[in-house]
Amino acid sequence: MRAVIKFLTSVRLAIVLLILIICSSILGTLIPQGRSAEEYLVRYGQLGGLLQRLQFTRLYQSFWYVGLLVFFGLNIIICTLTRLMPKIRRVFRPLVDADSKNIQALKIKEKFRLTIEPGAAKEAVKKELVRRRYKIKESTSEGRISLLARKRVLGWFGSDIVHLGLLVILTGGVVTGLFGLKQSLSFTENQTLPVPRADFSIRLDKFTTEYYPNGSVRDWKSDLTVIEAGQSVHQKTIEVNHPLTYKGYVFYQSGYGWDWQSPALEVWVKKSSDPAYLRKLSLKVGEKSVLEEESLQVTVVRFLPDFVLDENRQPGTRSLEPNNPAAFIEGWNGGEKVFSGWIFAKFPDFSRLHGAKETELSFELKDIKAPQYSVIQISKDLGVPLIWAGCSLLMAGLFLAFYWPTREVRLVIEESGGKSEVTAGGISAKSQEAFMKEFSDIMSAARKTR
Amino acid sequence: MSEATFFLLTFILYILAAAFYFVFLFSKKEGSAKAGFMLAFLGLLLHTLALILRTVESGHAPFTNMYESLSFLAWSSILAYLIIEWKYRVRRAGAYFLLIVIALMALASSPLMPKEAAPLVPALQSYWLWLHVSVTLLGEAFFAVAFITSIMYLRAEARERKGRATPTGLSAQRLDAISYRAVSVGFPLFTLGALVFGMVWAHKAWGSYWSWDPKEVWSLITWFVFALYLHTRIIMGWKGRRSAVIAVIGFLAALFTYFGVNYLLSGLHSYV
Repeated sequence: MRAVIKFLTSVRLAIVLLILIICSSILGTLIPQGRSAEEYLVRYGQLGGLLQRLQFTRLYQSFWYVGLLVFFGLNIIICTLTRLMPKIRRVFRPLVDADSKNIQALKIKEKFRLTIEPGAAKEAVKKELVRRRYKIKESTSEGRISLLARKRVLGWFGSDIVHLGLLVILTGGVVTGLFGLKQSLSFTENQTLPVPRADFSIRLDKFTTEYYPNGSVRDWKSDLTVIEAGQSVHQKTIEVNHPLTYKGYVFYQSGYGWDWQSPALEVWVKKSSDPAYLRKLSLKVGEKSVLEEESLQVTVVRFLPDFVLDENRQPGTRSLEPNNPAAFIEGWNGGEKVFSGWIFAKFPDFSRLHGAKETELSFELKDIKAPQYSVIQISKDLGVPLIWAGCSLLMAGLFLAFYWPTREVRLVIEESGGKSEVTAGGISAKSQEAFMKEFSDIMSAARKTR
Repeated sequence: MSEATFFLLTFILYILAAAFYFVFLFSKKEGSAKAGFMLAFLGLLLHTLALILRTVESGHAPFTNMYESLSFLAWSSILAYLIIEWKYRVRRAGAYFLLIVIALMALASSPLMPKEAAPLVPALQSYWLWLHVSVTLLGEAFFAVAFITSIMYLRAEARERKGRATPTGLSAQRLDAISYRAVSVGFPLFTLGALVFGMVWAHKAWGSYWSWDPKEVWSLITWFVFALYLHTRIIMGWKGRRSAVIAVIGFLAALFTYFGVNYLLSGLHSYV
């Protein structure tokens, strides 16, 4: 039983947990996460069901993975606390009085004799230590003076601060997971939508897409107004990387799209026999427009933003982007269908109209306008400040642990016949070479005292 | 002169530096190692110019596609190596390390890598691009140094175990210490650049600081492997062989984070 408890509170367990977390994290990048049940069936066959039951398909949110992280957090707490207590004692209630034999057992040490009495020798050594920013504690007993000099004591706590930072980050993650709000809302221009769980609303005033000269997108911008109790209280243009923050809610430009339900189409009609003939028709899907002189009714039956033929040679749309807009139009004369066919905005030459009768009219899809909507992601997450606090602690701790090495010098000055016998030793966990140099500098300066 | 010319000159200088370092491996004459160091340093200066020109021409940070990012990684690797060599006199590592740099440069100049500077997609238009990528890659460069010195350690240790001395006085114990120094520079940099700056930027651009995107997970894995390295070393006293093996695994994880994730796994980070 004791062995079990000892293991549960040991660094060894931390190592085992780290390895387990590493392995399961790798697994999560190999199995696609959060897909549909069908996709797993296709990909893994019978195994798919098992993977889902074991939550391997949403691994990072699974009970066992989160459990592993929490267990790891508890282990960090225990390991840190068991090491922290002796450290605190060492800092605040150190044993200053030392035996010269113990000091001589240290790796870095020196022994020399000064021709002055111990009190003066002490002051001389202290002066050298203070000059190098050491803090000194002293004690006198049995005719010997002991000095304990230290600097950069905070360096001892570097690893503890790193661990504290990690725990704060883990806590932030739990807070995000449990209470974080994240939701996407689609706005068309001038639309106002209430913000979930808040007492204010957001209106989209304007949505713009900016392009580079080569046609690729430079930026998406949404002009947002915060409306509280019927009053507009705040305005901001948000873009990618520049969200709006209001009352703890953050609004991100996260997407855009077109409402293809009823686009406004402009169709140009030309006549092969008469180059001067041009009629412009404005149509919506399902609407009819009349060409008087031809006694023809033109109607748009269907519209596709990104026309493609599927494997059965049936028309469909590849995406919701207007990459290849196409309209299926019909021409009617009274009750008789004269022609029908697809016309393409980007490929006017591809238009193929099939008709019972030859027609000298040609149709071009000149322009399409659909209401664009802007997708705004709303998030309210109290975990975020914890994450930043944790990150700051983490970085501060790493700096202290690696680059703020604590240095400790112990001295015993003993009297022998009016002269002083000085024994000194030093401890530094890191950057031994630099410390050894400083130590010998102090010692040689002290030796010169007369 | 254009950026491409500077890049080519840099490449030639690195190859020459590698050649001198290799001559040093066999001749053991200090002079050739010094020449290698100077050539690599000159290469670093020209490389810096090439990167500055690239930035001026494209108007954005010089690491937004694979060509730029490889070139920048080569730059940070040389920088990291020269710092370590200057501080710890690890001349013998130069030959092996420059092979990595040459591989990066060759990969960058291969016709498979698109070189045109494309305008930045909205998500990348942020000063966090500078901070996040440069600090991360600099951290990874120090992991690369630790990788080379760890592999050299493993060879030296095997040789010493058979009772043969290490040539030119770079003992296994010293290589082990240098690997640790390299990790102790790389680890804080990687933590800051990849994880902290990464989270800050993700929070600003994507609306959540952590999304379990494959690149994020692999950065975390790399971080955990080096955390393992530090804990087994400092708390459990695993110096030497086991430590070196963990450092090698850590670098491979970093390499996969940098490279493999883009080509083998899909996710939010699919910019380059």
